[in-house]
This record gives sequence, structure tokens and C-alpha cells, in this order.
Amino acid sequence: MLAYVLRRLLLAVPTLAGVLVVTFLLLFVAPGDPVQEIVGERADPATVQRLREELRLDDPLPTQFAHYAGGVLRGDLGRSFITNRPIAQDIAERFPKTLLLAGTAMLFASVLGIALGVLSARNPGGWIDRVALGGAYLGISFPVYWVGLLLILLFAVQLRWLPASGYGGLRYLALPALALGMRSIAFLARVTRSAMLEVLGGDFVRTARAKGLGERAVTVRHALRNALIPVVTVLGLDFGYYLTGSILTETIFSWPGIGRYVVNAIGRRDLPAIQGAVLFLSAIFVLVNLLTDVAYAKADPRVRYD
Amino acid sequence: MRPSATRPFAPLAGRLPALVLLAGLAGLAGCRGSGDGAGDRRTFRDSRDTYDPRSLDPALSTDVPTGRAVSYLFDGLVRFTPDARVEPALATRWEVSPDGLTYTFHLRPGVTFHDGTPLRARQVARSFQRALDPTVRGGRGWPLYPIRGAREFADGKATSLAGVRTPDDSTVVVTLTEPLAIFPKLLAMPVAAIVPDSVGPDFGQRPVGAGPWKFVEWRHDDYLKFARFDKYWGRQPGADTLIARIIPEPSTAVAEFESGTVDVLTVPEGETRSWEQTDEKSARLQSAPALILYHVAINTTKGPLADARVRQALNHAVDTRAILEQLLAGRGRLAASVIAPSLDGADTTRQRYAYDVNRAKQLLAEAGHANGIDVELWSSQDATLARLAQSIQGYLNAAGIRTKLVQRDASAVREAARNGQAQLYVKTWYADYPDADAFLYPLLHSQSKGVGGNYSFYENRGVDSLIVQARRTQDDAQRAALSRQADALAHADAPMIYLFHYNELYAVQPWIRGFQVPTIFNGQRWQDVRIDATGTR
Repeated sequence: MLAYVLRRLLLAVPTLAGVLVVTFLLLFVAPGDPVQEIVGERADPATVQRLREELRLDDPLPTQFAHYAGGVLRGDLGRSFITNRPIAQDIAERFPKTLLLAGTAMLFASVLGIALGVLSARNPGGWIDRVALGGAYLGISFPVYWVGLLLILLFAVQLRWLPASGYGGLRYLALPALALGMRSIAFLARVTRSAMLEVLGGDFVRTARAKGLGERAVTVRHALRNALIPVVTVLGLDFGYYLTGSILTETIFSWPGIGRYVVNAIGRRDLPAIQGAVLFLSAIFVLVNLLTDVAYAKADPRVRYD
Repeated sequence: MRPSATRPFAPLAGRLPALVLLAGLAGLAGCRGSGDGAGDRRTFRDSRDTYDPRSLDPALSTDVPTGRAVSYLFDGLVRFTPDARVEPALATRWEVSPDGLTYTFHLRPGVTFHDGTPLRARQVARSFQRALDPTVRGGRGWPLYPIRGAREFADGKATSLAGVRTPDDSTVVVTLTEPLAIFPKLLAMPVAAIVPDSVGPDFGQRPVGAGPWKFVEWRHDDYLKFARFDKYWGRQPGADTLIARIIPEPSTAVAEFESGTVDVLTVPEGETRSWEQTDEKSARLQSAPALILYHVAINTTKGPLADARVRQALNHAVDTRAILEQLLAGRGRLAASVIAPSLDGADTTRQRYAYDVNRAKQLLAEAGHANGIDVELWSSQDATLARLAQSIQGYLNAAGIRTKLVQRDASAVREAARNGQAQLYVKTWYADYPDADAFLYPLLHSQSKGVGGNYSFYENRGVDSLIVQARRTQDDAQRAALSRQADALAHADAPMIYLFHYNELYAVQPWIRGFQVPTIFNGQRWQDVRIDATGTR
């Protein structure tokens, strides 16, 4: 197992190097110019030229890349062109907030989604199943944007139970986490349900029932554990996406996370900020995928990485 | 198998998860805290910033949130009032030499910065140098370029700023390269704010100024927090704290306002009608003419657009009145001028290009384009501007001007327009200072082509010379006349499709007293604003 993890971590190095090169080249060919964003609406050509020199934007591309990659290798993501702040600090400020939001959303989603899925599967066609299935369709179909505004209108404007937006404790976390998790609740419920149905028809479940185990023990101990593999896959993928920035959710709820940071950086062509954030998020994505694979082995003893 | 691994799911298995969730949300509501603005009457809460400021360093103030925060934290020699007049700030008075080249500013006695250090004349000189210093990477030197030696200093050809002398601790003498009547207005811009001696490397994060508000905290992408500066020389704000929330989504800002957690809101254009038509909501509305011009820059160097008749045809082809009513809910005034109507030099009687498709076709035919022309209309993805572009496209097509929409993100469109690549470019122009010059010079002077703001690449010697004369003239009436003439001359040439002068529309909570919607973005420093405990919803 350890060898496998190490091998995967080593393989991540070329992946990230690739990300670095591709991001750099993409930004180079993309239209727009960070200096134009710095100077704003009214400027003069001399200032623009001076800033280009200050920021080394007129250096040949390989020189620029070497300069940037050299910094990254030394662990320095550089400073933002626009704000002059260190990018590592910007990321360190925002990523934990995204992690908190994504983590809570996934917690919501896995508890509710898996529970709904299990309940539905226990009595397929029953009213819980039908309500849950219908809810799942709606949950998947509604855009997060719409769900988010609806939640705000209901819980913040009408009921005044919770703040509409902003960052803070549980009260601030509840609505965005719910909005973000909604799609996953629905998706997980459906995946759990179908996996459970498949497993519940298996021989070992019949054996378990035959030896006199209660229905709850059969469902939870035997069936659910075996049905978890596809569920873990969905969880892992969703979590990876959430961590790399739940941009819409963060925007609607004014949540100061990494997604908004990246979008702002792109809008202002803040090259080092975009590169640093994309590199960091790619590393996170690789890590989450690795953790998902490790989780397979935990969930299913048949899976071995040797 | 270890059964324990699955146990966490077991307790849930008999309940309805949705009920659990609702109960949870209601439970959270039980610990309702300080979020309710109606109950918390010692703090102003603003919702107008839609993105994080670039910095809180005046030298870096090239965007609206930065400029606004800088105006709270810092004072300049002069400053703007909410209705965009210039009033003395750190300078109590100033004299202009008869040749208009030398300004002598007398500093206000007894002023201290937030760190307790007293204001000295040398700090004025250093502040200006800092804003021009290329290593600070501010990017907004132009308001200080009129000072003698400023460009040389910015280019690294001089080690100090020749045009600023400080004969004693309370006098600053500024010499200009040419007479410039608008110079005091330039000094009220955020970039000319005065900073103390103790400027550290993270000054943009922990600023120290001499403004009415002290810096407390900056949670990036979340909020800025300021505290009243008790030793401020001027009028004290009527609250202890000012929190400027950063809310990117307009609908969310509206929700915050409706739940009473913010005091001031910019009403989104799309919601204007619903606010105006609801009695309770309309009672909260306050409006003011802004210094913002909506227009379509016409690149006067591109093919058929080089012909003034074609550009006039474009103006006649678009029903600006209908667009203003339908897309901006009537929030503006139709434009026949680049100069905002509230400013000296604006001519509100000038005849607009009337909506007249036949006239447009006739002008096109006279210019030799009876079969119409093909143009590209560029716009950013900003919701209002994109809708404007679509609507204008429809009108132009109907007049035989076959229009292709090009929509890119703001940065890409701006770059294209500055390079002269965009034929037509829908945009807004925000005046940096309340003067006709803030429209005339950037939009119409040939020196401003491209990056300076003249996206029409318009060049007219007569207009150029009138604009420069107006800048140099100290007499207000004469200046206004010159500005009016320059504006009229350009209007006849139609270097743009004149759309409208925008009106700001705010909603202000009933417990907020004395808030005046600012005409210019950095003109409202909350100094005359009070919280009235009796003003409930």
C-alpha cells in the first residue's frame, strides 16, 4: 500500500509540471493584458511600458517561464501583479474556507444522500423511494445558482433565521453548504439506491437473511458496505470538484473561497495568481483522487494495490 | 469485516433526513447573533463593493473599491463632497500665481495621522513621489504628471520631484509644467492622498492615513472594517464602525438589504421597476445623477466609419430613448454631449441625433453606402452592457448597418479596443474628477487615443486646441464656454453613439439619516451620516 501511494505521488510530479507548462502557454496566447488591468480605465503609453518592464512581461517567453518555474521549485509562487500580495498567502487565506464549505457540503450530502439511497432501496417503489427519487431528479436538475437564491430568500429574507451571505460560523455555513451539497445529495441517493438494489439481490445477502440476521443488520453491515464502492467514487470526484472552487456557490453567498479568487485573477489577467492557484488546485485534485483510490481498498477488501 | 465501520449510518435509518435538516436550520437560527443590522446601531454597513480592493495603498488606487476605501482612510490636500464639489481638506487654502503655474498650499494646523504622528509638508512631497515611483507599481501617475519634473521622476531620470517645494512645515509649493485650472480636482483623487512617513512594505494591507476612518481589519473577499478616528480634524462620523461588505452578486446584496443587514444598496438595473412600484421599497430609494456616460465608441479610423456621415447615421439608427426606458429602467438622461449635465460646460439644450431610420439610410447613401455596411460591435460580458449591445445590434441591422456582435470578457475587449481592433465598442465612462475635462480630455483629445480612453481614435485639431485652452483657463465662465464649444464640435463629428448620462439609484435603510448618494464614487465618506434609533422598518 505504502509503495503504491509513493508511486502515485511520484507520478503526480510530471502531471503538475504539465499543468505548469500548459497554464503558462494558455495564458500567453489568451487575449487580455495584466498591465491594462493594473492601470485601469485611463492611463498613458509610457506608464504601460514601464509596468511591462517592471513585471518582465517583455522578456522572451522561455526566460519568463524559467524565472517563474525557478520560483516554484524554490517554493515561491511569487506576488500578484495586481495587488502585490504574496500568492501563497492569498491561497493560504482562502483555501481553508473552501475546504470548510466543501467538507460540510459533502458531509451533508453523504449523510443525507446515502441514508436516502438506503431507505429507498429497502422498499423499492414504496413512498419513500418515490419521494426520494423525485427529489433526486429535482436536486440534480436545479442549478446551484437558483437553489442558492431560493435558500437565501427563504431562510434569510423571509424567516430571518440565517444570514444571507458572508463568512463566519455555522450560521453562515449552513446555506451555502446546503446549496452546494444539494446536487450531490441527489446524485449520491441515486447511486446508493441502485448499488444497494444490486447488492441486496446477491447470494450473500440471502445467506445473511437465512442465518437469521435482522433486516437492519443485513442492510447496513452486509449490503451497504458492499454497495459503497461506486458511492466512494462519486464522493471523491465531487469532493475534488468542490475543492477546486465552488465558484457559483462562493459568489452567491459571498463566501471568500478559492473559487472566487481564481475567477477574479482570471478576470484581471493576474498571471502569477492564476498560475499559482491552478497549480495548487491541481495538486489538491491529484491528492483527492489518490485518497479516493485508497478509500476503495478500505471499502472493499478485494481491492489491493501492490 | 469490521462492522463498526458502518455504524454511523445506523441511527439515521429510521428517520426522515429532510426533517433533520430543517430542525438543524431552525436550531441554528436559535443562536441568532449580531447579524441583524436593525438592532446593531453603532455600525454602518455598506454593500456596494462587488470585488476585493486591489490594495489600500493610495498609490495603487486604480479601481473603485480601492478608491472608495482610500477616501475613508486618507485625506488629500483637498477632497470631494458628495455632490462633487472640491473642498479644502489637509490644505485649508491655496493661492494660484497669476501665470497659473504655481500653487501654494497652506496645510491645516494640528492634523495627526492615525499613528499619532503630525502632518508635515514634506509628507506631501513624499506622497506624490511615492505615487509616481515605478517600483511601487501603482500605475496611475497621470493625475500628478502636470507637476514639473513628474514624468522625469516616473521615468527614473530624476531622483526627486522638482516641482514640489516645502519652504516650511506647513507650506507646499507646487509648480506645474503648464497652467491647469483643474489641478486641485486632480489632487482630490485617491492617488494624491497624503501618507505618513512610516510607510512599511505591507502598507497596502495595514494603511495609516489622516482620514475620518482608521483601518481595523481587511478580510479579503469578505469585508473591510474601519473605526472612527476620534482625533479627526473635521466632522465626526455618527457611528463607531464602518463595515464595507464585498458582495459580488447583486441579488445577494438585495437580500442582505431586505433582511436589514446592510444599510446602503445599489439597486440593480433589472430590479429598478419593482422597487419603484412597491410603496414600502420606493420609500427607501434615493437617486443622484452620476458622472457616468454610456456610449458606443466608434473607431473613426476604420473603413466606412472614417466618414462622419456614416457615424451620424449610426446615431440616427438607434432608438436611445426606448433603450434607456427598457434596459436601464429610465435611469439616466439621453445624451447629446460627453459632459455630464450637472457639470459646467454641459449644454443641455443641444439637439440630439433623433431616432430616424430614413435619415440614417439617407446619410449612408450620401456616403456611398446605399447597400449598407458591415460592422463589428464589441462588448464585455457585463449583463447590462451585453444587453445594450444586443439591442443596439437590432437597431443598426434595421437601418442596413449589418452588425456582428463580438462578446469577450472585459479584459480582452479592453485590450482589443485599445489596440484599435474594435470598430464599435459599447462602454461606460466614469469621470475621475467632477469636471468637463474628465470627459473631454480622455474621450476626445488625440493625446488620449487608445489606453488614454479615446477608443474612437478621434483626432480633431480644433477640438484638441479647445480642450487644452479650457484646461489652461482659470476663469470658470470662460472655461465652461470653451468646454461647451469643444463638446459641440465633436458632437457634430459623431465619434461615438451618444447614449445616456447615468443616474445612481440607491436604497437606504430608514434608520440611516443624512446619507447623500454621491455623484462621484469617492465623495461619500459617511461623515454626515447618523444612525437614528427610532427609524425602524
